Amino acid sequence: MSKVLLAPLDPVHDIGLKMIARGLGQAGHETVLLPPDLTPEEIVRQTLEQGAETLLVSRTLGYGVAELLARFIDLADAAGLRAKTRIGIGGMAVRRELAAELGFDAGFGPGTTVEEVRCFVERRDYVPDPTRSNKEKADMTAGYDYRYRHAGIAGKLAKISAMIEDWARVRTSPGVERARLRDELWDAERWRAREGDGTLYEHYPALCGEVPQRYYATGELHPKTRRFTKEEVAGLESYLAETKARMSVLKLQHSRRRPLVFNQYGTGCPFLDIGHILASEAWGADGVVHFDPSWGARTEGFLDGFLTHQEDGTVITPANLNRIGAGRERSTLWQVRAHRGLNTPETVVLAAKLGADLTKINICYGALGAGTDPERLTVDGYQAILYAKKYGLPFDVVTNEELAGVPAYKAFAGMLIVADLAVRLGARPILQPLFAYSPEVMIHGLMEDNYVDFNAAKVLALRGIVNAPIWPGAPIGFLTHTEDRVQSAMATALHACLGAALEVDAISIASTDEAYSGGPISVPAKVDTLRAVQEGFRFLGQAGIAPTPAADAAAAKLVAEIEGVLDAVIKEGDFVAALHAGALGSREEGAYPGRAGKDTVRTVG
Amino acid sequence: MNKALEQVMDALDVETFFVCDSEEAGRKYMLGLLKEFGFKDVDVVFAQYEGPGVRVRGRAYVYRPADRYRWLLGGTAEGAGV
Repeated sequence: MSKVLLAPLDPVHDIGLKMIARGLGQAGHETVLLPPDLTPEEIVRQTLEQGAETLLVSRTLGYGVAELLARFIDLADAAGLRAKTRIGIGGMAVRRELAAELGFDAGFGPGTTVEEVRCFVERRDYVPDPTRSNKEKADMTAGYDYRYRHAGIAGKLAKISAMIEDWARVRTSPGVERARLRDELWDAERWRAREGDGTLYEHYPALCGEVPQRYYATGELHPKTRRFTKEEVAGLESYLAETKARMSVLKLQHSRRRPLVFNQYGTGCPFLDIGHILASEAWGADGVVHFDPSWGARTEGFLDGFLTHQEDGTVITPANLNRIGAGRERSTLWQVRAHRGLNTPETVVLAAKLGADLTKINICYGALGAGTDPERLTVDGYQAILYAKKYGLPFDVVTNEELAGVPAYKAFAGMLIVADLAVRLGARPILQPLFAYSPEVMIHGLMEDNYVDFNAAKVLALRGIVNAPIWPGAPIGFLTHTEDRVQSAMATALHACLGAALEVDAISIASTDEAYSGGPISVPAKVDTLRAVQEGFRFLGQAGIAPTPAADAAAAKLVAEIEGVLDAVIKEGDFVAALHAGALGSREEGAYPGRAGKDTVRTVG
Repeated sequence: MNKALEQVMDALDVETFFVCDSEEAGRKYMLGLLKEFGFKDVDVVFAQYEGPGVRVRGRAYVYRPADRYRWLLGGTAEGAGV
């Protein structure tokens, strides 16, 4: 136990000192908190008279304050105080380096814990609280039984799922065949041990498109990619080792358990991605989502090797995914999206074998909003779901066709069809409504007063239909963001608070570069929104956000409209035909059945 | 390249308020400033003009994806933006 004098040099602010005094007192130290109106001379005299081993002064730094503090230290030196007493300074804007420059023995800035100050008083080295990095990986599907609360919709979905199953189980495609090869012939552990790829590449290139075929035949890469050099790979390994040694991760949710917070990466370069992921984890992201380039979704087959890409989207190869996945923190959930293109089932297999925690599959969005032929994506999506089940990989069912103009009720009907099919096949889907200022919202004035009601209505509608996890995305607040980073971070934080108030399981957030299209997303832009969300959650705590009665009315309308869409699909009698016919989004609404992979499906057995 | 710039992960943003009479003038000041600092890969991310002047954020990419990052490699790599 030692004696500690705490002296506010600030004429007003001494709350921080009071908190520290209480903490030190609880730790068994004798603390004396001096009143806030003493002169430096009086503080020095009292410290000498009381024989304190430690003096802690607080002062908000501002114009001219550094000089005042330097004079205080001179005075303490002249009085012989420093021979026995160590002096620390704390307050807003205090930095350790500045404190040292001014002659203090320690400096304590905002966010200082009692433990840090206690270590100074007890002359021990401060070791950051290990609980800061004690985040555990969470399964957001745990606790959901997927029971329907709406019997009418349940019955209709059962009919549609049976329709899809009967149709898809007797069909295959090059994508399905590649996934089968990856599943059966490729052993990730042997590959990691540099024991090769088995016999995979004896069969694989024949099932690929032109670019991968050329790569496997001649080694020629996609024009915007290059291999990393050995020097770069060695540099990455030391960077990772050094950074990991000092890493800890924040928890953003304050007093809540959820929502988990995800952000995306996909700069094009796996090394830059790793840098972005480490920063995201440190600032509190619970999960990260892999974005691949748009040409990847339209290319039959994957390239191989450790590749960097000059444009948006990081190329999916075993080496890229492996290094990115292995670099993440133990608690970080990792999602690799499979939802939209010609490699959907193989992405699920590859991601699962390389340790991904989640994937993303939606036949309707991929076929109507992402350019893949509906027939092809129905077959590939069906098989992808089977692989997701086999590897225990939950997946979200995204509804981004809303961004093209498809009304929410149609996008939701498509999402529920895929989710129902997944549950019947034994998989664990997660519903992903958009929190967005979508074209439908703009045209019909659904958010003229606020951004709360219609987003809340989506969650209420889905909860009224089925007991399933909900993960709004992607990102929340889509089309509300501007290039102004304050506005953008604020928009994200408010939508995050709405998600928290609605008790959703997870959210995907943007960076403050969301609306900026002039270049890659920068790492500070990611930190901006994570900080904003953290502050939002701190503000909200266990309190709520109350939607107006309009939310319940909109939810009821959505449910009725979803039922109508399901009726239309059943009436069509063929799911693929229903996609083409516009039942789940028409051309007039901005949904265009894709053409990538057209005429590549064949029947089997 | 300056030692501190070598440690920039990707981009350097500069935010300020220019006293000027239009958004266009503010954008020009920002791009000019970033070029004067020696950056080549520059842009204005955001600008908002009101009567007293423009609130503006400029960006200089020190590295783009697929560049060779000095924070990873030490002093041997070539940066793209400076």
